[in-house]
Amino acid sequence: MEFQQVLGIRRSIRYFDPDRQVEPEKLQKILEACRIASCAVNAHWLKAVVVRRADIAPDDLEKMKNPVQANVIALAPVHIYLYGDPGVVNKYKGARLKQLFDYGALNPTHGWSHKFVDETVYPQILKPLTETPVYPVALAFDCGIAACQGLLMAFELGLGACLTAFVQDVVKKYTKVPDEWIPFYSINVGYPLESREAGGQRPRPPFEEQYFLNRYGNAFPRDPKVVKELEESKLFTTPARPDNGERRKEVRDLARRLNLPM
Amino acid sequence: MALDKPIGEYASVKSWDEGLRNHWGGEPLKEDPSMTEALEKFCAFVGEDPDTILGKLFRIRKSDGERVLSVKWRTHYADKIKQFRAQQPGPEGQRQGSAVLSFMIHNGVLIQA
Repeated sequence: MEFQQVLGIRRSIRYFDPDRQVEPEKLQKILEACRIASCAVNAHWLKAVVVRRADIAPDDLEKMKNPVQANVIALAPVHIYLYGDPGVVNKYKGARLKQLFDYGALNPTHGWSHKFVDETVYPQILKPLTETPVYPVALAFDCGIAACQGLLMAFELGLGACLTAFVQDVVKKYTKVPDEWIPFYSINVGYPLESREAGGQRPRPPFEEQYFLNRYGNAFPRDPKVVKELEESKLFTTPARPDNGERRKEVRDLARRLNLPM
Repeated sequence: MALDKPIGEYASVKSWDEGLRNHWGGEPLKEDPSMTEALEKFCAFVGEDPDTILGKLFRIRKSDGERVLSVKWRTHYADKIKQFRAQQPGPEGQRQGSAVLSFMIHNGVLIQA
């Protein structure tokens, strides 16, 4: 699938075939997509633990449910639990940045040197950053970027996925992650029972309210010709619409099939 | 516990009926009477009528007088629904539990169990 099509077809899928397993190679591809994501200072804070729902004891699965994600985690055959490891910066002390230098990604043309990393970047910027309250925000941003790549890969592979929160203490019984790791979300993965369109592309706030040119308040000009091009490349797909009878029927049929409330 | 009037006469059941009709079209409770039968069985199971159940699921917050969902009672009824479903293993128990969830959902209770 073309890149723009993948962006265009991604939806939060909430109806999965509960019995159809996801192949290990597809799970690996999702994780590989996370791994190559852009990451500040090459730190790679994101950690993920893949757990098959079938390996979770029924009592524990019940305890993992909350009022908004219960059905998703009960239907998705795979949960990918995402964490941030705040310890990586002080563990590697700039070594991964120096690796980028050695491999020609960072260069003297932009002011980089091993000496700069050892004497300035790590001791004066990164280490103090780890001691500030904004540090978890910074690492969460990067973990989100990596998770998004994995999410998109799932759709490219014909799977569906939905991000949800997870109940940390119960999940940790399975994931057994270090105490200092920060729990984020779970990517719940499986084969969708919904149609590919799943009711259409979700409504979004107007472009002009979100993006600006030069300064806040000056909307970035939205060229209709570009919008047209993006429709042709399928970044924009059929928009969802309110009171869509076809979608209602689809959901009603799914509710009956899965014994969900109507 | 027997209800003291026909189940369709409770305000919360009327609200459920209205929610179903508005969302799905048609007359879902009339087309599938097993949904109200399931709710009636659940009421007997917990020993409360539909309006009492709904009344407990909301409380008035002291600080600002807002009507808010009671997490404590939602957890209580979510557990009760699980027990109710477990009485009849298999799809029938699931179906009956889902009817009770639907009753709560169309009365504004965000719940999955």
